[in-house]
Amino acid sequence: MTPRHMPIEAAQSLRYMTLLNTSRSLVGLTPKPEDCKDIARMIMELAVYEKMPDQVKISHKELERDGFGPNPFYQCLVAEVPEDHKSKDGHTKVGYALFFYTYSTWKGRTVYMEDLYVMPEYRGKGIGKALMATVAKVAKEQHCVRLQFSVLDWNKPSLDFYLAKGAEDLTAKEGWHFLRFHGIALDNLALEAP
Amino acid sequence: MFLLSNPSQQELAEHEKVSDQVKITQKDLEQDGFSKNPFFHGIIAEVPEHLKSRDGHTKVGYSLYFYTYSSWKGRAVYMEDLYVMPEFRGKGIGKALMSKVSQLGLAAGCTQLNFTVLDWNKSSLDFYLKQGCWDVTSDLGYHCMRCEGDALENLAQGDL
Repeated sequence: MTPRHMPIEAAQSLRYMTLLNTSRSLVGLTPKPEDCKDIARMIMELAVYEKMPDQVKISHKELERDGFGPNPFYQCLVAEVPEDHKSKDGHTKVGYALFFYTYSTWKGRTVYMEDLYVMPEYRGKGIGKALMATVAKVAKEQHCVRLQFSVLDWNKPSLDFYLAKGAEDLTAKEGWHFLRFHGIALDNLALEAP
Repeated sequence: MFLLSNPSQQELAEHEKVSDQVKITQKDLEQDGFSKNPFFHGIIAEVPEHLKSRDGHTKVGYSLYFYTYSSWKGRAVYMEDLYVMPEFRGKGIGKALMSKVSQLGLAAGCTQLNFTVLDWNKSSLDFYLKQGCWDVTSDLGYHCMRCEGDALENLAQGDL
């Protein structure tokens, strides 16, 4: 089991990135393990927005274990504001994009964006767009030809956001459905392996 | 009756689908599947010589998969392809391939096996649903989205 990861040089070059050309710049940085508590906080905020907070089963501990080291399962960009722009609750890490590399047997290397999230009080400032653009930039640097992700069909603001950027809805257009094995069904399936 | 093996470089590349839509080559598969940090893993189903196909093939099915991550559940495995040559279907090979992927996924600490199916592909849908999986798109409303070509290019340049 050897998941893919970006070369170290590319990761370091993404460490600081100016997201907005304003008098106060917003900086996206590749997280350190201690940032996982903020990422876990925002993962839960996104789950609440998607109306499924009880589905979040991992904590910052799994994020730390799985996102760092020589074979990470995912990559993450975090958007941070300066201290004097911190949120009502005192947070300076205000958005994130979590993604990983996948593969199409027809087209080759692909990036899958698992999460894109910006705290509500920081929306409408171009942070989500900048995070997504950086994911796309990383994808291109790694010779990926597709960026894929999923959206809930009732989530009209997000759907409109993505469609406006040229994304295609493959479920609506071609009829693709996500299927999943988990829990007992997955255990039972594995037991039958030769 | 059949055995599952990890493919050699040459063997996996030979099982690439032949279609106008396929843009990657044998060389891409070799590079991307067999480097230090591969983009995918594969399993091949092989039959003994005396049971080979009409065209003389003993490698009669495969599954291509890779590891992914759920921000809610952690490590997961995604099965990109599952294929058995038509003359070898109905013998449990497809199920064995899928079972092997799930076994390997569980061993790697994964809690989900994910994949996609076209909604008109009733025989595949029935096969999978019978094995106990669920349709996340139908049940929860998740849509698969994609940016590629000019859309990906424009997004990367921030020209939106």
